[in-house]
This record gives sequence, structure tokens and C-alpha cells, in this order.
Amino acid sequence: MALIEVKDLVKKYKISQKKHGVVGYIKHLIHPKYKEVTAVNNISFNIEEGELVGYIGENGAGKSTTIKMLTGLLTPTSGKIEVNGIVPNEKRIQNNKQIGAVFGQKTQLWWDLPVIESFKLIKKMYDLSDKEYEENLEKFTKILDLKDLLDKQVKNLSLGQKMRCEIAATFLHNPKVVYLDEPTIGLDILVKENIRKFIKDINKEQKTTIILTTHDLKDIEEVCDRIILIDKGNIIYDGEKENFKNEYGKHIIAEFIIENKSKNITLETSEEEFEVIEESENSIKIKFNHDKLTVMDVVKSVSNYCEILDMHIQEEGLEEILKEIYRGEIIND
Amino acid sequence: MIKKILAIAKQETSENLYYRFDLALYIFNFIIQITVYVFIWLAVYKNGNQILGMSFEQITTYYILVVSLSPIIDWGINETLGNSIREGEILKELLNPISFFCYYFGIRIGEMIEALIVGVITFFICSLLFGVLPPSGIINFLIFLVVICLAVIVVYFFEIIIGMIAFYTNSVWGIEIFKRSILNIFSGMIAPITLFPEFLQKIANLLPFKDCIYTPISIYFGELSNIEILQVILKQCIWIVALYIIAKIIFNKAVKNITINGG
Ligand SMILES: Nc1ncnc2c1ncn2[C@@H]1O[C@H](COP(=O)(O)OP(=O)(O)O)[C@@H](O)[C@H]1O
Ligand SMILES: [Mg+2]
Repeated sequence: MALIEVKDLVKKYKISQKKHGVVGYIKHLIHPKYKEVTAVNNISFNIEEGELVGYIGENGAGKSTTIKMLTGLLTPTSGKIEVNGIVPNEKRIQNNKQIGAVFGQKTQLWWDLPVIESFKLIKKMYDLSDKEYEENLEKFTKILDLKDLLDKQVKNLSLGQKMRCEIAATFLHNPKVVYLDEPTIGLDILVKENIRKFIKDINKEQKTTIILTTHDLKDIEEVCDRIILIDKGNIIYDGEKENFKNEYGKHIIAEFIIENKSKNITLETSEEEFEVIEESENSIKIKFNHDKLTVMDVVKSVSNYCEILDMHIQEEGLEEILKEIYRGEIIND
Repeated sequence: MIKKILAIAKQETSENLYYRFDLALYIFNFIIQITVYVFIWLAVYKNGNQILGMSFEQITTYYILVVSLSPIIDWGINETLGNSIREGEILKELLNPISFFCYYFGIRIGEMIEALIVGVITFFICSLLFGVLPPSGIINFLIFLVVICLAVIVVYFFEIIIGMIAFYTNSVWGIEIFKRSILNIFSGMIAPITLFPEFLQKIANLLPFKDCIYTPISIYFGELSNIEILQVILKQCIWIVALYIIAKIIFNKAVKNITINGG
């Protein structure tokens, strides 16, 4: 049995259609009208203990809604969730003891107190032993570089400092599962990398199961082994990150440094099966599908119109692949 | 569980104590308020030394006690809770390993400790300035404290219920003003309830607010018989159970149906 089991999960939001003005308001009271929005549309997946899953999708795809249902904060419209044998929204408190969660900028730290006071309260609320607490505190302080922050009032911390403390607070009680909903939003590169390293380390050492939603695909690229891709409430990919690239990332981008160009290559090769992305006097960038063409085919074509001095070949990154998926250029089969 | 609630209370208190200057202002404000009351009643008492069976010393003591007790009763968490719901912080509070009501009870006790500091200091300064009658006996004083503790639990559930209105509307401000006026009138904060017309007295007897300020002060003066005291405590317990059930029903319904802002 998997640690997290999600089956046929649906969440529909009811949005009340209030009209403006007093008359509209009274009409609404008497005969309320609702519009339904399906945020999560019949999704299923299993997550095993110790997995580190990237839950990705565009804005409004349904990521936060899914996470809120997994944490028990939202009641599903239909479908089933079990986390370690517990139905989260039915046994909320029991579930809370085994999970941790970060929601964007929402903080559980006490605004006016030094950070360490919030940690001490967590220790008491979760009945942590002195040993567990000290061990985690020491480890987290080291990885997240919290030493100078612990005695500062939370309100005096910068966004990045606060998020590092928040992440530490979330993992302090050795949760079995941690949900991180956009933990890196608005942070600078260094803090992002710091947090990524922390997530990876803890996942490896403590076998903490982690589900991470993010906009920043670098997070996924560097941290996750598995991707679940959700689009308009539907899961359109679920599997290993590498397979994802192999399955969808069939495009290669080749950049040539050229000279003595005789003609406009973009126009001359418009019949060919590759696409010129950029062209200038001494460089040209070409994208092509590796299933249909080889690198040599492209080199031959290009060399008809110029001399090639150098060449640089690159596989498509996650970000480009996703953009294509969103634009509908890649059709899932 | 009690240990955890106290830990939360301690946290809330130390957070509030970052605003010591505010506390000093509250105390100052309360002393002014009491001074005004004392001078008004001084004018009223110029002609006779008994009004409705109360001496000037009694009425002075009454108001000093009212003002000193008032922060314990009427500072509460409905605003904190309302803001937390509106701003989505409640997401985090619902993820605590202890129940929502226990968590907020800890916060309420933390607020009460702050109110207690303000109340006790106000009481001592004013008793030096204007003189107060001592409690009618040590037992009565202890019962006075017990009734106030129960009163705090009663108003706590009222505050929870009012705060949760924020799940449905965007502002608890209006309803909070309403709660405050009801509390002010029927607890005896404005004037002793015996000065009220009969029908208002009847309403006051049914509501639990009278037992937050007026009744404990009566017990302080030794005006209630043992049976009456038992009745008061029983009434408070019934209200606590009733309000708890109502709060729980609203909470369960709200958490099931309401989508929380943010995230
Ligand atoms: N409280 C809500 N009430 C109504 N609709 C909502 C609410 N929260 C989210 N939605 C809608 O549900 C969809 C999914 O939202 P969300 O889960 O927040 O997406 P994501 O986190 O992937 O950006 C969006 O279309 C959004 O507008
Ligand atoms: Mg989101």
C-alpha cells in the first residue's frame, strides 16, 4: 500500500453569482445562483514513502486545491484520499501530527517574537523529545544557515530569511509527509538554492515524503525525481522526470557559428523539416525533431548557404517542453 | 493538553508584552475613566448617603472593580480570529497538532494574562487613590475568582462564534460592536443591574453576561446566598456547554464548506 493514495479526486468550487446593488443582493438571498468551477477533475495517483514529487502546472491548474485536499483543509467534492491510512479531512488533527506544510507566504512563526521561540512552541505542541529537537535544530541551522536569525524577531527578517525559518519550522517535528506549495516564490537565487539543497538532503536522510508545487522549473529540475503535471484540473503526465524529457523532449536546438553567408537561410529552408529560431550574419539557431532528422542532415542543409565554423547542440529543457505542451504543440497520446 | 494550551498562552503573553507601552496607556486610560465615575457619583451622593441601598464607598468599589475586570472579559479573540480567517492565516492554525478550539483557548488565556496585568495594576492604583471596600470574606473572594474564570470560558465561546462569522462575511466589525454593546449593558459595566427597569433585569438574568461582571462583584460584596451562588455556577456551566456545541457545529460546517482564501 502506498503512503499517499488518491483516487478519482474531484473538487468543484461554487462561486456565487451576486449581482450589484441592493435589489441584486436581495434576489441573491432569495434565489442564490451559483456557478461551478471544476478545479480538480478526477485525478488519481499513488505516492510511496520517501518519494520527492514535483507537482507542476500553470497558474490555476489546480495545484493548491489538490494540496489543500491532501492536507485535509478542503473537503473533496468526490473521490478518496488516504495518507498513511488516514483520511485527512475526517481525522484532521491526527493527520496534522504526521504532516508539515508550507503555503506560499503564510507563516506559522510568531511575528513579534524571536524565531527560536516559535521553534520551542513547536517542540511542545508536537511532544518532541529534547534529543529530537536539538538534533533537528542543529542540522537545520547548519544547512539553512539560520545561526544569526534565531534570535531575531520574525518581523525584522527579509522574505528569504523568513522562508528559511518557515521551512525549518515545517520539518522540525519529523513529519512523514511535507507539502510545499510554492515555497520559492519571490525568493532570490541563492535562497532558492539553499532551500533546494535542504529539501534534497532531508528527503534523503530522513526519508521524508515531499510534494513540491512550483512555478520555477529549476526547482523541479534540480530536486525532484518524479513529476506530476496537471493542466486544467487533469493530470497529463505522471512519471519519472527523465522519462518525461525523453517522451516529450524530442527537440534539439543547434546553434551554428557561420561566415560568408550567401542567402537568407530562413527563407531558403522554409520547406525543410526544421525551424530556424534566430538568424544573423554570423550565427543561426535551429530547432528540429530528433526522430525525423539527424544532426548531420541539418549540417548539410545549412552548409549549402554558408561556412560553418562551430556548432553547439543542446537538448530542450523542461521549461521549453512545458511551454510547448501548454501551447498545444505537443499532443499527448 | 493543558500543558500545550499553557505553552501557547505563554507565547501569546510574551508577544503582547512587546507592547508594554500600550499596556501603560490602557492603565492610564482606565484610571481616568474611574476618576470620572467617582466624581459623577460624588455629585450624586452629595445630598444623601444611600442610593438604592448602596453607599458611596460601595459604588466607588463597584466601578473600580468593573473597570479592572472589564479587560479580562471584553478583550477577546474575535478580532484576532476574524483577521486570521480573512487573511488566510487560519490555514496554518488548522494544521496544528491540537484542536482549533484548544489553540485559540491558549491565545485567549494569553490575552487574559495581559488583561490581568492591566486590571490588577489599575485596581491597586485606584484603591490607593479612592479607597475600596475589601471582599466580604476569603471564601467569597475565592468564589469571585472561580466565577470570573467560568465567565472567561463563556465569553471565549461567544468570541469564537463571532469570529467565525468572518468565514461568511468579510468583516466582523459590525457584529463585534453589537457584541460589545450587549456585553456592556447586560454585564453591569455601565451601571449596576439593579438600577435597570424590570424587563431589562429579566433579560439580564437569562443572558450569561450578568455573571461576567455584576454577579462576581455581588459575590465580592457577600450579597449572594450559597444557593444563589450554586445557581450562578450551574447557569454558567449550562451556557458553556450550549455555546460549545453551537461553536462546534458552526466550525464543522464552516470547515467543510468554506474555501479558505490564499495559497
Ligand atoms: N476559493 C476558491 N473559490 C473559487 N474558485 C477557486 C478558489 N480557489 C481556486 N479556485 C479556482 O480553481 C482553479 C484552481 O486553482 P488553484 O488550485 O489555486 O490553482 P494553482 O494552485 O495551480 O494555481 C482556478 O481556476 C481557480 O480560479
Ligand atoms: Mg497555487
